Amino acid sequence: MSGAHWALIGLLAMAAVAIRVAGLIAGGRLRASRHAWVLDDLPGLIVVSLVASSLVGQPPVTWVAAGAALGIAILTNHVIVTMLAGVAAYAGLGWLGM
Amino acid sequence: MMKRGAIAILPLAFGAAVYGFAFGLLAAQVGFPWWGVGLMSISVHAGSSQIVAVEQLASTGTVLGAVLAAAALNLRYVGIIASLSDVLDGLSLRAKLLAIHVTGDENWALTMAERAKSPDVGAAFLLGSGFVMISVWTVSTTAGAVIGATLPDLERFGLGFAFTAAFIAMARGLWRGRSQALPWVVAAAATVAVVSFGLPKAYGIVTGALCGLAVRALLRRMKAVIA
Repeated sequence: MSGAHWALIGLLAMAAVAIRVAGLIAGGRLRASRHAWVLDDLPGLIVVSLVASSLVGQPPVTWVAAGAALGIAILTNHVIVTMLAGVAAYAGLGWLGM
Repeated sequence: MMKRGAIAILPLAFGAAVYGFAFGLLAAQVGFPWWGVGLMSISVHAGSSQIVAVEQLASTGTVLGAVLAAAALNLRYVGIIASLSDVLDGLSLRAKLLAIHVTGDENWALTMAERAKSPDVGAAFLLGSGFVMISVWTVSTTAGAVIGATLPDLERFGLGFAFTAAFIAMARGLWRGRSQALPWVVAAAATVAVVSFGLPKAYGIVTGALCGLAVRALLRRMKAVIA
């Protein structure tokens, strides 16, 4: 395992503990503050930005497969089912020569 | 009561095990050793956050960007833990720290739901269900990584796309209604613009999220003015 792997695990573990302890100490106050909406909104925005960043510069097959995965996600709201269907769509489209 | 929590969480733990196995498999495919995956699961204990961290490290190679994106995704735990203040009241600091570490989405939600039905459900239930969840999560992710390391490179079958599909499913799970539509579109567009200009993905993600937050703030202010 490289230094980057160790650093990732160490820093992420520290961040996870810090976030939980922040909830324990200041959570009530944070939740009651006028900035509480940021805690609710930021996760969704990060994930949407992640999806966008992974689609930039990708061939049409990836965009079509992403569209298929989105459809499945809307219907099922299930992570594993969406992953399986998304990979199947991607592989299927590749096999069809897209 | 601890045993009751441990038993009640089992169906949800099964679901987490499938998800954990899939994550371990993907992590091994992008170069994480199995014991690194296990160490991460037991020390971080946050599923979606771990997936984001591993994918970001593999695709961008920047540790800090990966940690920031993953930690931001975990911010909801500030609210989750804050909502447990009644449940944790009266425990020693050591027990509180242990309880919040084993708290995940599933056992938190189950504890709150059961507590609403019977007020005697409390810290013991949370701890019992939490110990099962963190154990199942650690074992299933490690097992996935062990199997994943023995498989050939699955990238050509589109396994890399599994991460994108997982993020799409997470976004669906985080959708709360139409008020998010415009901020999400702006976030995605800003990310695409930044990455298209040749800047690193990590910058694109941060810019996208900040632009989305700015639009959300603007919409909230407009709504407040109209109201």
